[in-house]
Amino acid sequence: MGKRNNIVISSSDDEDYEPSSRLTRSYQKPKSTSSLTRTNPSRAKKPRLPGFRLTKQSSNVDEMRLAFRDFDEVLNGFKVSAGSRRSNPKELWVDKHKPSSLEELAVNKKKVEEVKSWFEERLMTPKDEVGRSSVLILSGQAGVGKSATVHLIASKIGAQLCEWNTPTPTIWQEHVHNSSAGMKYTSKLDEFENFVERVRKYGLISSSLNGNSKSSIILVIDDLPVTNGRSAFERLQRCLVLLVRSTRVPTAILVTDYGNADSSDLTARWLEELQLTLESAGASKVAFNPITNNSIKKTLSRICRQELCNVAAEEIDLIARASGGDIRHAITSLQLFCLKPNVELDLSSSNSTPSCPKENANVLNEFSGGFSSQYGRDETLTLFHALGKFLHNKRDTENVVALDQNAFRVGEKFSRLPFKMDSPEKILCQAHGQSRPITDFLHENVLDFVSDEAMDDAWAVASYLGDADLLLATSRRTLNRHSEIENVLQSAAASVAVRGVLYGNFHPSPSRWHAIRKPKLWQIEQSSSHNQNEMLRQRFMEDGGSSSLSEVSVIATEYRPVLKWVGYRKARDVETHESEDESVKRMSIDEEESEISDDDDIEDW
Amino acid sequence: MLWVDKYRPKTLAQVIVHEDIAQNLTKLVTEQDCPHLLFYGPSGSGKKTLIMALLRQIFGPSAEKVKVENRNWKIDAGSRTIDLELTTLASTNHVELSPSDVGFQDRYIVQEIIKEMAKNRPIDTKGKKGFKVLVLNEVDKLSREAQHSLRRTMEKYSASCRLILCCNSSSKVTEAIRSRCLNIRINAPSAEQIVKVLEFVGKKEGLQLPSGFAARIAEKSNRNLRRAILSFETCRVQQYPFTSNQAIPPMDWEEYISEIATDIMKEQSPKRLFQVRGKVYELLINCIPPEIVLKRLLHELLKKLDAELKHEICHWAAYYEHRMRLGQKAIFHIEAFVAKFMSIYKAFLIATFG
Repeated sequence: MGKRNNIVISSSDDEDYEPSSRLTRSYQKPKSTSSLTRTNPSRAKKPRLPGFRLTKQSSNVDEMRLAFRDFDEVLNGFKVSAGSRRSNPKELWVDKHKPSSLEELAVNKKKVEEVKSWFEERLMTPKDEVGRSSVLILSGQAGVGKSATVHLIASKIGAQLCEWNTPTPTIWQEHVHNSSAGMKYTSKLDEFENFVERVRKYGLISSSLNGNSKSSIILVIDDLPVTNGRSAFERLQRCLVLLVRSTRVPTAILVTDYGNADSSDLTARWLEELQLTLESAGASKVAFNPITNNSIKKTLSRICRQELCNVAAEEIDLIARASGGDIRHAITSLQLFCLKPNVELDLSSSNSTPSCPKENANVLNEFSGGFSSQYGRDETLTLFHALGKFLHNKRDTENVVALDQNAFRVGEKFSRLPFKMDSPEKILCQAHGQSRPITDFLHENVLDFVSDEAMDDAWAVASYLGDADLLLATSRRTLNRHSEIENVLQSAAASVAVRGVLYGNFHPSPSRWHAIRKPKLWQIEQSSSHNQNEMLRQRFMEDGGSSSLSEVSVIATEYRPVLKWVGYRKARDVETHESEDESVKRMSIDEEESEISDDDDIEDW
Repeated sequence: MLWVDKYRPKTLAQVIVHEDIAQNLTKLVTEQDCPHLLFYGPSGSGKKTLIMALLRQIFGPSAEKVKVENRNWKIDAGSRTIDLELTTLASTNHVELSPSDVGFQDRYIVQEIIKEMAKNRPIDTKGKKGFKVLVLNEVDKLSREAQHSLRRTMEKYSASCRLILCCNSSSKVTEAIRSRCLNIRINAPSAEQIVKVLEFVGKKEGLQLPSGFAARIAEKSNRNLRRAILSFETCRVQQYPFTSNQAIPPMDWEEYISEIATDIMKEQSPKRLFQVRGKVYELLINCIPPEIVLKRLLHELLKKLDAELKHEICHWAAYYEHRMRLGQKAIFHIEAFVAKFMSIYKAFLIATFG
């Protein structure tokens, strides 16, 4: 108790330190009451082993781990008894407030029910029934409660849970140390393969079952091993397909979806491919959606109640929104928020009027940018999503914002209705858009979205895109030398392109579905430069080895058309037969080339 | 083989059109050494022909034994390596290339590749002609940076290397380079000269030329000798014996552009603009330079346009042509011009016809 007091005093000392714009907000309260969770920094550095998640289940969940060498030792060393759980203040809330019943789980009830009935069905029916695989794939982005669901269901239906966690990777120093000590290195993928092999052949007769003769066992593969490169991935795929085909233990494979965040990532595509193959091999699949704001809010307020800290509803709302459906993240944010209630807010409040957020929600909204950087995950958008926003050009139907008296006024002709979206620059950031491709995409697609009558608009858009191109070209020239300047130019160009499109398209065509095309320009450029080289070479053959290079433009505009004319006559000549054959060949190469390049481009995106 | 190539003069002595320049050049290289040279003049005036003949004059027939190479270069530019692809044409004594083909990275070509070539001095057993000739095409299209590095190269390797530069307009070549070269201006041949050449070709081919026919081709060719000979040959394929009022077939891309112009005049809408873009792409794929596309398009549009709009349209064409040269992707600017034209023309139509 004395300790507590100390902490409170020290924080009030803090307050005296910066007396100027003291916040008299509700944060005061959590400070004094939430001292339970205030952690002494040194104590907070409890050795947590990266890579292992210690499942501190309540006692009704039979906990079992498949051992991998040092795995067991670690577990024995660090297993936390369930009894001491709640009172341990240095624990992360994520672990502390793990849902203990299905009702507490924030996941959609229907999904839970789906998974639960699947497990029940598999456990009830005789195992040797053929034709049904006993593998379930649970996919979803991080922190949507995949593992929690499985754990809870297992405890609910009284099954034993057998979990395979991805082992920590061996770092190089460790490897050197081990190999000098005579230990053989086995890759994590090998370990996984061995494990799957064992499970397939012998079922789960592990020593750690400690005689508990319960019949129902559930195997959980929590996150797949990391694979690097195509061949490793294919090994993993083969091994999993085998598992799907032959295992008789109900198995849940949890796959974390990195999904839309970086669609250019190869691993994301491989994961998708993997899921498809597993499904075709007979596995069932349940996809978890991000958790809804409301569920997160409910969970957060429950935690607040349990932790006796008083957090305003607005803040909870904010944290929930910023978390993007990741409940683990939301809870951690909440803990952080309750830990040091004032520090960041002081900073942000120093340049805005201090006022109580409870009373003034607007101010809070102004903070929201700052909040999301502190507590939230940066929201990401796919490129196409962002492009869609720009192209569809959604605006309010009437100008709701009352004009400020001294605001800069624009003429009737130039004023536009306010956006129904974030500012374009913010969207650009979220989409991680590079300005060149963004400009190209806009150029390719924007004409579809301009109303058929509005020629002036089309011109305005085209002209702004031209401006963006100019800016980008300038940035190319100063390449390497002033990367700062280049960055500014790039973002300016993107901004000009996007805002030009938004501004110029004053009369958007009635919205309907448009496919967003890949810029044809890229293909054109490639085949054009290819043609150019071909032309030079051909010209060299044509002119009978005359000793000079011709300019491409001259060849294209003068020699080639004439050659086409003359070609009729020359068809009789043997010599030109060859060259014609070659041109035919060339064209076919052309086609292939463009196809390949198509693929490449898609890969880039 | 095309007539243009077949009847190209191989030596300086055979040159018909610029005889005086040819004589001067002959005198210049009999002195063993020659300075850096800068040939400039409009397209189709005979620059390359003269350069080739000059090389032959210097190195003898070996200058004609060339091989064409499509080389890939890896250039280490500090933080990253740049891959460049460039077609070169080389004999034992000279190398010819168009550095501007690689676009904005041309300065690496100039800095690295030319440096490397200039360093390798050919060793002659007799110890004479210990220099290599580099022929650079389209110097006027080089970027400023590239021209500056070119200047350094010229100074540094002048002992082992002679540069022959070739361009259309010397005004786009920096003063520094111009002053280090002997400037040779090649005029566009006059109509009479072109007629003379055409008659020469006709005689060699054993063709009957009706009176005035050669003059018409010469006039159509816009003082471009290559163009004249090429269309002469086209006419020969099209119809022989010639008639004096025979139509001279236009180039296919010119027809295509006039088709685009007709499209533009017919309908002005974003949809049509999109179709026009597709057609312009078609031209660009075939390597028709965007400047020429824009110029020709303006030409075709002006033909059909009401007089009171001509001035404004010309202004916008110039405006977008300028921006096209500053910019990177020509299609953006061509399209902006077309859009502007459509917008003006539409407003005009509405004002006139309601």
